[in-house]
Amino acid sequence: MMENREIQSILPHRYPFLLVDRILELEPGKKGIGLKNLTAGEWFFHDHTSYPPPLLLESLAQVGGIILASKAREENPQSRFIGLFAGVSDFHWQRCPGVGESIILKMELSKSLASLFRFQGEAWVENEKIAGGQILLSFVRTTPGNSGSDAAKGS
Amino acid sequence: MFQALAYPFPTLMIDQVVEIEPAKSLKARKGVTANEFFLTGHFPAEPIMPGVLTLEGMIQSACILVGESLTRGRVQAALEKVERVRFKRAIVPGDALEFWVTLAEKKEDLWKFKGKAQCQEETAAEAEFLLKVTVREVGFEI
Repeated sequence: MMENREIQSILPHRYPFLLVDRILELEPGKKGIGLKNLTAGEWFFHDHTSYPPPLLLESLAQVGGIILASKAREENPQSRFIGLFAGVSDFHWQRCPGVGESIILKMELSKSLASLFRFQGEAWVENEKIAGGQILLSFVRTTPGNSGSDAAKGS
Repeated sequence: MFQALAYPFPTLMIDQVVEIEPAKSLKARKGVTANEFFLTGHFPAEPIMPGVLTLEGMIQSACILVGESLTRGRVQAALEKVERVRFKRAIVPGDALEFWVTLAEKKEDLWKFKGKAQCQEETAAEAEFLLKVTVREVGFEI
């Protein structure tokens, strides 16, 4: 279990794009379950009544980022990294979640190839699976003394 | 339901009304998420829901209860007085917040409410406040 403040120490994302609230279960480098509440005051509910599908992908990807980053931190607390969305395949939506619902974001690493990681992602609301598919993330560790300015983003 | 509450973005603090007993009590829900505007500065790297907005949620729940209790006329409810508020626990992203309000007393146009905010069965805040309710009769004019 990981509270939001810890998430903020791992992910560089902030408002308006921090789309995961809490981690319920985590096995660093393997799988994790995240939680995202949808509430009425969020910016995308201006002109939508449901959670926009691309943002659901982003929520899942952020859980994936935490899974990979927590593994890197476990091995070396000073490690710096940069994670980027690399792709999506076979992702199906049953429906889009709406205001007042809590989305359970399940991500499990299925394959890794060099710096590319393929996850099996699923989004649930209570006992209903609302979407699922494969998400590809690219995750690169940069050594601490490296002068690359982008690397700082991941810390 | 939310047209009844004339609160536009971004101060709407309720997502769903779960239970309602006109002129008695109401239960509403709000899911607290990291992606809310007030959590960016309250506080950087340490998101905690501002207590006043928890109070706001209880007040909005009470306003809905007022609207559902009166069937005639155009109803307006305004905050008159906050008697007592106690914050007992920090509310953080990921919490499912529940607002319970009960009508405690009615004196002329002043309605007194007791409110409670709970997260996962734990009381996070308690409040007592008064709303001033005005009803404007609407009908045909001759």
